[in-house]
Amino acid sequence: MITLKGVSKFYDKKSIGLDDIDLAIEAGEMISIVGQSGTGKTTLVKLLIAEEQPSKGKIEVGGWDITNISGKDIPLLRRQIGVIFQDFKLLGKKTVQENVAFALEVAGEAKKRISDIVPKVLDVVGLTDVLHKYPFQLSGGEQQRVAIARSLVHRPKILVADEPTGNLDTINTHEIIEILKKINDFGTTVVLVTHNRDIVNKLKKRVITLEDGKIVSDEKRGKYRL
Amino acid sequence: MGLLRIIKFSLQDMARNASLSFMTVLILVLMLLSVNTLIVVRVLTNSAVESINNQLDVSVHFVPEAEPEKIEELRVYLSSSPEVSEVTVLNAQDVLERFKQTNRNKPKILASLEELGKNPFGPTIIVKTHDPKDYEAVIASLEVPEYASLIQDNDFIDTQTGITKIHAITSQVERFTIVLSALFAFISFIIIFNTVRVAIFTQRIEISIKKLVGATNWFVRGPYIFESLFFTVISMGIAGALMYFALGLIDPHMNGLFRDSFILTNYYKSHILELAAGQFFAVLALTTLTSLLAMRRYLKV
Repeated sequence: MITLKGVSKFYDKKSIGLDDIDLAIEAGEMISIVGQSGTGKTTLVKLLIAEEQPSKGKIEVGGWDITNISGKDIPLLRRQIGVIFQDFKLLGKKTVQENVAFALEVAGEAKKRISDIVPKVLDVVGLTDVLHKYPFQLSGGEQQRVAIARSLVHRPKILVADEPTGNLDTINTHEIIEILKKINDFGTTVVLVTHNRDIVNKLKKRVITLEDGKIVSDEKRGKYRL
Repeated sequence: MGLLRIIKFSLQDMARNASLSFMTVLILVLMLLSVNTLIVVRVLTNSAVESINNQLDVSVHFVPEAEPEKIEELRVYLSSSPEVSEVTVLNAQDVLERFKQTNRNKPKILASLEELGKNPFGPTIIVKTHDPKDYEAVIASLEVPEYASLIQDNDFIDTQTGITKIHAITSQVERFTIVLSALFAFISFIIIFNTVRVAIFTQRIEISIKKLVGATNWFVRGPYIFESLFFTVISMGIAGALMYFALGLIDPHMNGLFRDSFILTNYYKSHILELAAGQFFAVLALTTLTSLLAMRRYLKV
């Protein structure tokens, strides 16, 4: 599903984001990427969603070589990869329903289809009762669930979660991880970037550890070892 | 579908950023009012100059014995000059009547005239030119020996002084208007550029989120371009309405000062298309270009 071959990202001579990474993630996997701050986790996410391009190497997503993706194709890629962040990245001036619908509207989906899909994805994340509220009226956990709902509207084959629980308390963290597991059970590949030792250890899934931009361990049923 | 959504997003953005939208429209309205004030000043200045020019002429007074043939010869000669717009010949009787009319409230002067027992005036030619500058040429053309014995007197010198003064005032007013126009245009550009720049800057996070969920450049830029269009239309409407009321208030006070009445209203009516279209496209270009310039910095997501 995702293949990185000899991928490096240099910002300047002293700042290396990733250093000669080889990585293959199979369809339907749920993997955790762990590492200290500044080890290249976020750089990896940026390369996967084409926010940045690699300095060296080759990246394929679902068989599509995105190494030197054109600006015109980036929106198409981003509609195929769901992505959620620590800071939720919701549109503050749009309601919950509008935030979720927006991802479909920009793809030119018909109004009828949007009004069919939006309630369904909000139901998956348990948010059918806050449709007309604005992000600032929601708790952190609810905001992250809106972001997850938005990332699901295109039925992506891959969901990238960059520190999704970084701003949440224990209960909300548990809820978000349960939703991500449910999404993975439906067949979506989930790439979870996290600092949270408990989450990684409870998941008992594949764990990739980064250090100084290199992969230092890749375990099938790994644990948080930093 | 996409276009309608972009229009919907732009209207939503305008409503949800009401205070910023209000400020932008206010600045555009002020700029348009400044520009129109300059237009009004220019129209009034031009009318004033034209009005004064119309009152100017060169009067050539002949000796009473001047032969009508010679006067007619001079009239034809002056009329053939391209600078001259009008030549009027007054015979001695006409000149006497005019003199009496002018001095009707001065009984001593009229009594002196009665004592003379005869018409002391000769014929007069009144010359008007298209441009006040050309009076100098007319004056020069009369300063030849052939006509020296015919001409008794003239008001050349007074006229010349008046002409010089008008030229000085007109060129000063024009220089001042040009400097003021340039200053207003510069200030407007700076204010609007910064307003739009701030608007885009405050929405940079929103722009990056739109790009992250797969919005194309057109979907991100479109609402701002439509906002520019809506801001232009709204500000033109408000400025137009304010100008309409302002002209209604100012024009009656101008009627006594100029030969034509409702001079400003008539000017706007007869130039409405070029004034409206010129200002509309200028404001639209300003808002759209500044939006595009400001967006270029925040679309690198």
